[in-house]
Amino acid sequence: MGKLKEIFTSWRVWLLILMILASYAAINPKFTSDGLIISQVDFNSSAYINSVPNNVKLTEFNGKSVSLLQDYDALAAAVKPGDLVKITAQRRLFAFHAAEKDNQTYLGIAVEQAPTSNLKKGLDLAGGVRVLLKPKEAVSSEQFADLVDITQKRLNVFGLKDISVKQVSDFGGNKFLLVEMAGTTQQEAIKLISQQGKFEAKIGNESVFLGSDIKQVSRSVQQGAGVYKCGQDKSWACNFRFPVTITPEAAKRHAEITSKIPIASGSVGQDSYLEKKLDLFVDDELVDSLYISSSLKGQETTEFSIQGSGTGGTRDAAFSTALDNMKRLQTILITGSLPVKLQIEKIDVISPALGSEFLRTAIIALLAAVVVVGVIIAIRYRKPHIAIPIMLTSLSEVFIVFGIAALIKQNIDLAAIAGVLATVGTGVDAQLVITDEVLEFGSQFSHDWKEKLKRALFIIMGSYATVVAAMLPLLLIGAGLLKGFAIVTIIGASIGVFVTRPAYARIIEVLLK
Amino acid sequence: MEEAKPKAGLLASIKHVYEHKYKLLMLITIGIVILSIGVLAYQKATTGEFVKKDVSLKGGLVITIKTDQEFNVDTLQAQLASSLGVSVDVKSLSALAGQRIGYTIEVEKLGQDKVKAEVERLTGVPSATYTIEESSSSLSESFFKSVVKALFAAFIFMSIVVFIYFRAPAPSAAVIMAAFSDLIGTIAVMQLLNIKLSSAGVAALLMLIGYSVDTDILLSTRVLKGTRSTMEEIYSSLKTGLTMQTTAIAALAVLYIVAPAATLRQISVILIIGLIFDALNTWIQNVGILRMYLEWKKK
Repeated sequence: MGKLKEIFTSWRVWLLILMILASYAAINPKFTSDGLIISQVDFNSSAYINSVPNNVKLTEFNGKSVSLLQDYDALAAAVKPGDLVKITAQRRLFAFHAAEKDNQTYLGIAVEQAPTSNLKKGLDLAGGVRVLLKPKEAVSSEQFADLVDITQKRLNVFGLKDISVKQVSDFGGNKFLLVEMAGTTQQEAIKLISQQGKFEAKIGNESVFLGSDIKQVSRSVQQGAGVYKCGQDKSWACNFRFPVTITPEAAKRHAEITSKIPIASGSVGQDSYLEKKLDLFVDDELVDSLYISSSLKGQETTEFSIQGSGTGGTRDAAFSTALDNMKRLQTILITGSLPVKLQIEKIDVISPALGSEFLRTAIIALLAAVVVVGVIIAIRYRKPHIAIPIMLTSLSEVFIVFGIAALIKQNIDLAAIAGVLATVGTGVDAQLVITDEVLEFGSQFSHDWKEKLKRALFIIMGSYATVVAAMLPLLLIGAGLLKGFAIVTIIGASIGVFVTRPAYARIIEVLLK
Repeated sequence: MEEAKPKAGLLASIKHVYEHKYKLLMLITIGIVILSIGVLAYQKATTGEFVKKDVSLKGGLVITIKTDQEFNVDTLQAQLASSLGVSVDVKSLSALAGQRIGYTIEVEKLGQDKVKAEVERLTGVPSATYTIEESSSSLSESFFKSVVKALFAAFIFMSIVVFIYFRAPAPSAAVIMAAFSDLIGTIAVMQLLNIKLSSAGVAALLMLIGYSVDTDILLSTRVLKGTRSTMEEIYSSLKTGLTMQTTAIAALAVLYIVAPAATLRQISVILIIGLIFDALNTWIQNVGILRMYLEWKKK
């Protein structure tokens, strides 16, 4: 009992306890999930148009209260295309129609269990898409900032959740754009971010308006946007259209150009049109050619309808391609074009199923490793009261590292777990050094703690300094992909040296006295 | 030092050799380093690269499928290779006690769409559930260059720290040489065991620098600053140091057995190899250099 009192009168032990409590607060673990959240609302879906909010709590679905994902899944499965869906989110009622996509009922929203802690899983554990793009030409830092900004906006407009867009660079000074997003079915998003999105409407060789001349893009069905006509030739094709408003200057240009173009011969009355068409280009590629009604000849009109199409093997496939193409074009027109062309250098698509398997086994491995280390130490010293503090110290170290990760919003991915492991490894090493120094010299030197452990501290500080030195270059390289590992290892080693090791030294010193 | 008569028993004779033939023993570690350099040189001469690299450092495509179905790895590999017309590497992925998790399929130089379709056709596992990692060869090349630079930089930073710490050239050089021998030996064994270096492996090599230096600093500090005889200090370091190395190897072995994630497996296998080398390089090479240095200082 006296020993316990002695341990708990040390400020080093209290610092450790304080850090553990602070980490608990930072991680904020909950043992049961706190209901459901709407994690995604697909752009232009019925839910989107009916302003279903994103990232809020979902409490009721079709009149039944829901808090578990399996309950939600069961209710959602009963919905058929065309049904009216009523949900309560944030205490407000929303209603929208279910649609059909890929032969399945499509609600346009994604629902998840609310997270049980503040720890954020990295891409390789949570699943998602990572795309690394490189500008095709040299870019200034302002241009790069624009790249990041526009890409971020595009993905937001597209309605994606958990997006991270940032600039990363490697040792050679190459700059990359790193885009990460949750969810794995994001082929459209990948197309969207890799497209420069230079829009131009031309009549003949003359430019009528550019993407930057477009003031407003209408996106809802009520405003006249949508896929409106499907037909079958060899394969299916569907057309889409959506209205845009252009600037008066561009409208003037349109009037000037069209006034010179004669009405096509053979077309009369209301259906007559001009000899030349309005050609729409995206990134210098022709998207569609539109007939210009003769009533527009010489007119300063600011309202235009942008059209395009999508094809597919079935009507549904063509419809959804057309819808996707429309969404992409709208997004590009809203957010503007990128200052340079980008080239995709790396695409990783990580399945959430595999990720959760990796996480589960990694946690088991980590705990099993700590136990195995404990057993070896117990055998080596033949004293369980040395093994137990070492194991507890290691576990508290892991906990504090996760606490700090939650605090600084460092994602936990596989590389970070490897970093935690490295931390435990060096931590155990240092504790063994302390134990042996105390065991061998405990009786020889003065009772001053510092004096007694001077050599142990010298060794530990040396190891610490070299670990940090070895990790520094990693903070800079690899387009940032190994950065998490380096950050976590440095945090872990620092926590070890400044928090857990001093506490352990005090505990072991008292225990072995 | 007094001449101890060799006692009977294996342990005693090992002890005798360890204490008195330490210069001879150093030939082992020097031999290993030379052999390792030979392996890497041979590798360079035959393949044009010093190390075998995986897709993350070379460019290409890896598809990981999650399934509990059994497939014959060789058959699947042959089927894919013949239908895709390129070389394919299929590995099975298992967790605890051989529980099937899935397979990884590595392909160089092909777009993902074609490979995905083929894998789906042959395994029946829907392609929407695949984990796909695809890197361009130019990116991987520049990434690999970065990685090599980072390793060199880490090594130099570590060396500077060691020199500042010990402020004596010979013991510092001994620590740095041990780290170097660990690295080169590990990389050579990876080539012999056909372990392809991935970006996670680079993290492991950097960790190895850290771990390797741990025991060397322990040894040098005790021997140089200790109050007892050199041999006594060496033995006391050996006791602590071997416990450190054993616990680390055991923990990593657990990780290797339990975790199916390629990232963690590669890290654990590289560190296990590295720590075995570290035992040799610390307790033979570093001890030898330290003892020679102390003898030279006495003169």
